[in-house]
Amino acid sequence: MTPAISVAGLGRRYRDHQALADVTFDIGTPSVTGLVGRNGAGKTTLMRILAGQEFTTSGRVHVFGSTPLENDAVLRRMLLVREDQAYLDLRVRHAVRAASLVYPNWDAGLADTLLDAYELPQARPIKKLSRGMRTALGITVGLAARAELTLFDEPYAGLDAVARTLFYDQLLADYTAHPRCIVLSTHLIDEAAELLDRVLVLDRGRLVLDAATDDLRGTATTVTGPSHSVQRFVAGRTTLSLHTMGGQARAVMAGRLDERDRELAGHLHLRLEGLTLQQLAVHAAEHHDAPGHHGPSARPTTAKAS
Amino acid sequence: MRTTALVTVARYLLLDRVTYVVLPWAWGAFGFAIDVVILRLTPAGDTGQRWVGGLAAVFIVVFSAGVQTVARALPFALTLGVSRRTYYLGACALALAMAACFGLVVTLGQAVERATGGWGLHMAFFRVPYVLAGPWYMSWLTATTAFALLFVYGMWHGLVYRRAGMTGTTIFGGAQLTALALAAVIATWAHGWTSIGHFFTTITVAGATGVLAILVAVMFAGGFATIRRLTV
Repeated sequence: MTPAISVAGLGRRYRDHQALADVTFDIGTPSVTGLVGRNGAGKTTLMRILAGQEFTTSGRVHVFGSTPLENDAVLRRMLLVREDQAYLDLRVRHAVRAASLVYPNWDAGLADTLLDAYELPQARPIKKLSRGMRTALGITVGLAARAELTLFDEPYAGLDAVARTLFYDQLLADYTAHPRCIVLSTHLIDEAAELLDRVLVLDRGRLVLDAATDDLRGTATTVTGPSHSVQRFVAGRTTLSLHTMGGQARAVMAGRLDERDRELAGHLHLRLEGLTLQQLAVHAAEHHDAPGHHGPSARPTTAKAS
Repeated sequence: MRTTALVTVARYLLLDRVTYVVLPWAWGAFGFAIDVVILRLTPAGDTGQRWVGGLAAVFIVVFSAGVQTVARALPFALTLGVSRRTYYLGACALALAMAACFGLVVTLGQAVERATGGWGLHMAFFRVPYVLAGPWYMSWLTATTAFALLFVYGMWHGLVYRRAGMTGTTIFGGAQLTALALAAVIATWAHGWTSIGHFFTTITVAGATGVLAILVAVMFAGGFATIRRLTV
């Protein structure tokens, strides 16, 4: 099956700044993928390239089997909603109408539902919307378009917790009813963890983690307790970090635990906590040989839908 | 490329009817009112027609609409999966259709103007000496070409602004002035001013319209070359 997105050796250089370097991955459809990374890691640049809005310096980008750049046949099947999305200098209803002109699967009912849920007045000029309301408008357009490939760049910017929960619920419901390929770039990976099939982590323009979320869960554990007990417990295991303070220590350990490990931890009075996706992403950025990374310590993973 | 894609772009742009339809003629009406007031306050001369320049407002607003077509409306269109090429060609198709309609308005305005004795004031608002004063079809063609030229020229400016910001736009404007200055210097060195004067005094309206059409083609090509590497 042709993956929805296929990227190989992708690079983008701006004069003295390497925004992306040798990025390679495939994403199948249907799937929901999280694109994670610090500010300036290259997430938006990658999404803009996927949407044909930016140019590559090197490498190959295919979307639905063809290059997206100036390719109407590909572009009309996708949509990128950006954090700093620019709209027509008109009213909310005009932005919604504009999207409905372009996308054949546009769901006007869903758009109305979302506008009501986010309390977005259709007659309000877009330039008078708050940041959160602009974000909500982007979510409305992004979901109601039902594009075969939907790219959301930081879709929660300016949204409060209630609105974010609404977004997750709507995304999940709509994705379940209409499976397609969705890519979210986000800082709040744990909030969206239940939605994600897969996580890509970018750090300084390089892809440092590419793994299915099911494969990632439980692959690293935080061990906390008396210093000597922690050191005894992690001895001989791959340790990603170890911090000692007084008589207490905190270690992050790679590898899955079995029942005997847990019994030993109980015996040593240690507390065990699985790393969240967010913590795994941070570790992946800091230690490129973290679990799930394309390194000798972890098996390369591909999206289960690829 | 599908024609429907170009029509979609035109419909997308026409969501902003104020910019593309209302504003040009609102400014035209304002110019008309100002001209009427001025003619009522000033004594009529011996000439048969009293030429006024209020119609220029419509042309200026059309230029501004061309700028806004890329400066404001382009990024969201790219977000919605429209390619640069389709957007540009769709916008140019809209420019041409708009120019043809606006040219028709000018032609109809001329007919009314002639029938009412220049609005009862001998005012020539829709007529311009030598340029828009001939038969209706020639006036329509000339006005259409002029509107199209200003729209496409405005788009080229907007594209340069999108790509290179205010600095780039300033350089772009400066380069045009420099090119004109260079042409003037060359004309002086080559003692060509007499020929140039002869060209402008003998050219027919049809010839002038042809020159405008060539300029439209140049602006179209310039804008197309500029949008090809544009990022948003």
